[in-house]
Amino acid sequence: MPPASHTPPAPAPSFAIQKERTRFLGLTLDECIQGFFGGNAVVAVIVLGLITLFLFREGSSFFRQNQDNLSIYRQAGLEYVDFIRTQEESHTALTRYLSDLRLRALRHHMDADGLAVADANARLASFDEFAGRFSDAVEPIRGLRSELGDVAVAIKTRHINNLNRIQQRAQLVAAGKPDEAAAVELETIDFAGEIVALTATLPLYEEASGAFATALNEIVATPPPLPTLELTARVARFQELTADYVATFPATIEAMRAWDHTAPVAFSESFTAFIFGREWLTASFWQDWYGVLPLFTGSLLVSMIALTLAVPLGVGAAIYVNQLATPAEQRAIKPTIEFISAIPSVVLGFFGIAVLGEFLRVASGWEWLAWFPGFPFAERLNALTAGCLLGLIAVPTIFTLAEDAINNVPRAFKEASYALGATRLQTIVRIIVPAALSGIISAVLLGLGRVIGETMVVLLCAGNRIAIPDFTAGLSVITQPVHTMTGIIAQEMGEVVPGSIHYRALFVVGLLLFFIALLINFVAQKIVRRYKISVG
Amino acid sequence: METASSAAPLKRSLAQPPSSSDASGDSTLIDIQNLDFYYGAKQALFDINLRIPDKRVTAFIGPSGCGKSTLLRCLNRMNDLIDGTAVKRGTIKVRGVDIYGRTVDPIELRKRVGMVFQKSNPFPKSIYENITYGLRIQGVNNKTRLDEVVEKSLRGAALWDEVKDRLHESGLGLSGGQQQRLCIARTIAVEPEIILMDEPCSALDPIATAKVEELIHELKKQFTIIIVTHSMQQAARCSDRTAFFYMGKLIEFDETRNIFMNPKNPQTEAYVSGRFG
Repeated sequence: MPPASHTPPAPAPSFAIQKERTRFLGLTLDECIQGFFGGNAVVAVIVLGLITLFLFREGSSFFRQNQDNLSIYRQAGLEYVDFIRTQEESHTALTRYLSDLRLRALRHHMDADGLAVADANARLASFDEFAGRFSDAVEPIRGLRSELGDVAVAIKTRHINNLNRIQQRAQLVAAGKPDEAAAVELETIDFAGEIVALTATLPLYEEASGAFATALNEIVATPPPLPTLELTARVARFQELTADYVATFPATIEAMRAWDHTAPVAFSESFTAFIFGREWLTASFWQDWYGVLPLFTGSLLVSMIALTLAVPLGVGAAIYVNQLATPAEQRAIKPTIEFISAIPSVVLGFFGIAVLGEFLRVASGWEWLAWFPGFPFAERLNALTAGCLLGLIAVPTIFTLAEDAINNVPRAFKEASYALGATRLQTIVRIIVPAALSGIISAVLLGLGRVIGETMVVLLCAGNRIAIPDFTAGLSVITQPVHTMTGIIAQEMGEVVPGSIHYRALFVVGLLLFFIALLINFVAQKIVRRYKISVG
Repeated sequence: METASSAAPLKRSLAQPPSSSDASGDSTLIDIQNLDFYYGAKQALFDINLRIPDKRVTAFIGPSGCGKSTLLRCLNRMNDLIDGTAVKRGTIKVRGVDIYGRTVDPIELRKRVGMVFQKSNPFPKSIYENITYGLRIQGVNNKTRLDEVVEKSLRGAALWDEVKDRLHESGLGLSGGQQQRLCIARTIAVEPEIILMDEPCSALDPIATAKVEELIHELKKQFTIIIVTHSMQQAARCSDRTAFFYMGKLIEFDETRNIFMNPKNPQTEAYVSGRFG
């Protein structure tokens, strides 16, 4: 700014166009106002930057910690014991198949043969004896696993205690108490020496495994007779499954023989264990797993259910309000739909638990709704309940933005269509909706962003079971309880130790959510921009 | 299928021989009698009486807000799309059929009375799809027939040579004048009897305007054209009859030559000689 003294001498009063502006800290009023608004914009950008930075800072060390977590899992031999555990769990799955078979047989005896419960059970005595022997055959393996597991956990506990003491000593040194620090005893853990206690049992295991295989083959060779052809076919299937199962034994032994507790855990493994990990298991006495897949699929499932409901409702309402409604209807409908977004989501969550969840559970039992996938269900809180409410939350977003997009379609298109003899419906379907399509798509995407980020409703209504939904169940997967990325952060953040691996894992989940939201918004903006150009 | 059967009464009447003729021997196609038209409580047209001849170009002139566009939009009932509009008195008959009659379907009417707008408004679709839209909504999907209509309409609108190699590109990629001729082609594709033009050249440069005017000369062999224009030269150049409107009233209607050379009404004279408006 040129100082006032530089102004040339005032011209003749007849042409007085010069004026001394009031200055505040050397700035004119206009510049102050400009600075104020500019400052606000800068603050918004800085805050966004700080949030990103903070998420990165808190989350970044997770992958290193998870690498340590995974290498302890290997060094202490937990991984070794899990070979046997996997084998045991597959056997449990087979016994579940048998109990299912027994239930079918029992039902057949009671319904088709008209027997009382006691008589029907009596008929199944030989089956029970068969199932019992099959189930008991695993006992030697289970005993071995239990013993080895204790050894492995003991090694891990000692290692972790030692790590804690190292930390304690470092803290004392930092606090200026070297004497007390020296008093903290440390030990060096000889993993190689300890692990021998596990690996030395391999011949024992091989023997047990061999005996187990023989026993299973023997038991399965003489199946009990069952009443119907269908059930007999199932028994044959069971025999096949068992044969497949036994065939995996040598591979297990091979893997255990090749196993090396010193094999390093690569940094990328910590990464893949997070992204593709199928388990989210914390505060476990055995091993903690931080796999985001169950949470991600849960979020995705709930969001898809929500969009399936919200897209037809929101877009349909937008078309109706913009194209078909009378002014009076417009004045009534628009604020009503927009009001939905004013309802606090925790209130919607309550409604979901108390009313909607209960209603859906009762409704799922109605005879005429039996065609609906997953009906009837017993869990009141599941993906469907949460999805319905989330759909309700997404409706205002989709409605408002889609209505805007439709409103932006030039009136001239509509008039041209009518002038060619089109009906209202033809004009809407063939001209208005295609012209607004990119706007509508971006409205749907932003609705998705709204839904994926929603926390309270899913926390209250989704059932919070941390497991990948069983997609083999087909469409009825929607009635399973799930957990979500947002829900897990809200639920667990309060009870974790700051700085612990669990704490950092939650931040990384937050980071992932942040990136998903960023991506959705970015794509939506791109689409909208293209749309504006195309309409010109 | 096309120009559906529900249009039968109107269509049959339209096919009848003209019922009357005016002084100069032209047969009357549109007969407007005692028309009062309202936007809500505001009256926009006052007691209009007008007989528009068949296969001629009729121009509506007058200063802004005089009601000429309103009257034009009454002829294909486009005003129905605006809430609160109403014909309170009088009739508009096309070949003797009252187009505001209770049994008339405005959709069928608009198939017979096409319209070209002030601002060219091709759909955000390909040139081909723009032209076939009117037929497709009538259920015509026969590829050969559509191809024929596209070529015929584009030739009719003197656009064929310019766009024949890019029929499947967007209609929005054409120049302003081409877009307007595309809109004309789209209108004649549904073979209306009457084409209404609402200031079709007001957004065009002089060369594009000349092309459209030339086109109007060609089109009047097949169609009855009513054109609203702000340009008195344009009215003088391309119309046979001219109606002068002022403040919602029809002041004078005569042969174009008479309106410009020998107006009977002093207001008309004042307007055409450029003293107001």
